[in-house]
Amino acid sequence: MTQLQTELQQPGPLEPLAAPTSSRRRIKLPSWLTLMLRNPKAQIGLGILFLFVLFAVIAPFVASASSATNFSYATREPPSWHHLFGTTDQGSDVWAGVVFGARRSLATGFFVAVLATALATTLGITSAYVGGFVDDTISLVTSVVFVIPTIPLLIDITAFLHQRGMTTMILVIGCTLWAFEARILRGQALMMKNRDFILAAKVSGESTRRIILGELMPNMISRIAAAFVLVFYIAILVEAGLEFLGLGDSAKSSWGVSLYWATVNSSVLQGEWWSFLFPGLAIGLTVLALTLVLAGIDEVSNPRLRGLPKNRSVLRLLARRHA
Amino acid sequence: MSAAELQVEGLTKYFRAGGTWFDRSRVHAVEDVSFSLRPGTITALVGESGSGKSTVARLLVRLYAPTSGRVLFGGEDLTQVRGRRRTLAYRSQVQMTFQDPFGSLNPAKTVRHHLARPLRIHHVVPHDQIDNRVHELLDRVGLVPPEKIAAKYPHELSGGQRQRVAIARALAVEPSVVVADEPISMLDVSIRIGILNLMVDLKEQHDLAFLYVTHDLASARYVADTVLVMYAGQIVEQGPAEQVLSEPLHPYTELLLASVPDPAAGERDKIEVHKGLAAAAVDPRDGCRFVNRCPIAIDVCSKITPPLVEARRDHSARCHVTAPSPLV
Repeated sequence: MTQLQTELQQPGPLEPLAAPTSSRRRIKLPSWLTLMLRNPKAQIGLGILFLFVLFAVIAPFVASASSATNFSYATREPPSWHHLFGTTDQGSDVWAGVVFGARRSLATGFFVAVLATALATTLGITSAYVGGFVDDTISLVTSVVFVIPTIPLLIDITAFLHQRGMTTMILVIGCTLWAFEARILRGQALMMKNRDFILAAKVSGESTRRIILGELMPNMISRIAAAFVLVFYIAILVEAGLEFLGLGDSAKSSWGVSLYWATVNSSVLQGEWWSFLFPGLAIGLTVLALTLVLAGIDEVSNPRLRGLPKNRSVLRLLARRHA
Repeated sequence: MSAAELQVEGLTKYFRAGGTWFDRSRVHAVEDVSFSLRPGTITALVGESGSGKSTVARLLVRLYAPTSGRVLFGGEDLTQVRGRRRTLAYRSQVQMTFQDPFGSLNPAKTVRHHLARPLRIHHVVPHDQIDNRVHELLDRVGLVPPEKIAAKYPHELSGGQRQRVAIARALAVEPSVVVADEPISMLDVSIRIGILNLMVDLKEQHDLAFLYVTHDLASARYVADTVLVMYAGQIVEQGPAEQVLSEPLHPYTELLLASVPDPAAGERDKIEVHKGLAAAAVDPRDGCRFVNRCPIAIDVCSKITPPLVEARRDHSARCHVTAPSPLV
């Protein structure tokens, strides 16, 4: 009897593992995003980018805003513990300039990317899906914007505008950098619009707007993300270029403005390498980071590039590429 | 579910063949096609690639606008239907499933999305019952357990399961006509019969009218009540399935039947076929379109297009030899 009781008290055979009760409630990252977070290139890129964003956010705690732009008597000092990246001809602190400049440069790049990607996505996909006259018109406008050389146009526009704030800069760069992405996205959408699931959605009565937003866009998300990153770093380069040419607001601190002052003060000739090296390095590293992220997206969305070698030595990877 | 009949009268669709302004040649993809789909029947539309059968399917669900002809449903001419509300009303009655189960489901969306959207668009059930109805639909097409299947993405399902999801989506709006465009051609042979049986069950239980588009005569014989044979955009033979497939009138149907491998028959006489370019009726001239491949062609075949003549009861063909018209 006791034996029977103990037997009864023993847990029965293990029940099969219960599936997660509701897979809807679980927050699920899109698969391409999880894949990307596992991609080594994307990891390095996102890591560098994270550092820059971090310094941009905590800028007031690691440097003083006034020393980035204000003049002082401590001029032309090489890097030291007091002035980490040295000082300029006017005596402003290069470290503060780089850290506070990160805010402006990254913000400009980001908002330009948002604006240009939104334009490119809407125009590109609409043009492809609707077709006909709408497609012709949008394609014509795209082609026109596409062939206009960006920098000369921007020089003209910024030279005529009285206001040279960040908003102006974002609007001007954003409205000129969308054309190539619009073309790429149009091509992608053209390929997809005759797939059966789009036709099926149409047959079940979906409206054009829902088909574009609900059916086409989710399938192009990695391509749109790539467009975003690409425009992001081009925008940073273009913005720095414009400011370097003196077409930005040279009273504010940004990487391009730092380079502008370095030229104006002919720092190279005077051997003050620190006043152009550090802002330049910041630009270079940010662009490198974004390029790596882009390469990561590319590898993830293109299965043929995915999961190449197990040994992740960069040299071997390069050797294999060029073999 | 109203048991209306869908009637097609003289349906014609031309596509531009040339890409330039000066090239006015046109492909006669579908020409003068007439038939009707009655509730509770399966009509098979048989033909080879490029014969225009998929174009007919897409014309019926308004993916293409016809060049001419009428599609009558419940006394209303579909080609005259304008406006979103009336289009929706039509779409809630006539649905379609597509050939490629790997392409007809959105890879970024779950099964639930595919079934819930039509329910929402057409307000089939109140909002709080959508989940229940989704499970019901999955159950109806034999996908169990529905709760698990509904949360899956298309890439987690097999070809046969996807095709069942596609059928469930078509059924979601409670249509009276379903156009099935080659539903089994891309599936493994072993699971084809399951899909065919599903079609027969649905036809019987819900009094649905199916248009079963296929190039597979054996499956047509298995499920269909009526068979339409298409060649180069025209219906060349139509009639009761059993009769068309056992005693064909048109030489093209005979050719189709002869090309079905039949291990039981053993060695059989080779059929004489004149090789010719099939289908693709680009600016066709008068005369029978099959004349170049026809083993029994006579002079008149290349001069006058044969009309569809009812040579036997309910069984008609376009052939000057086997179904001669009294007018020619």
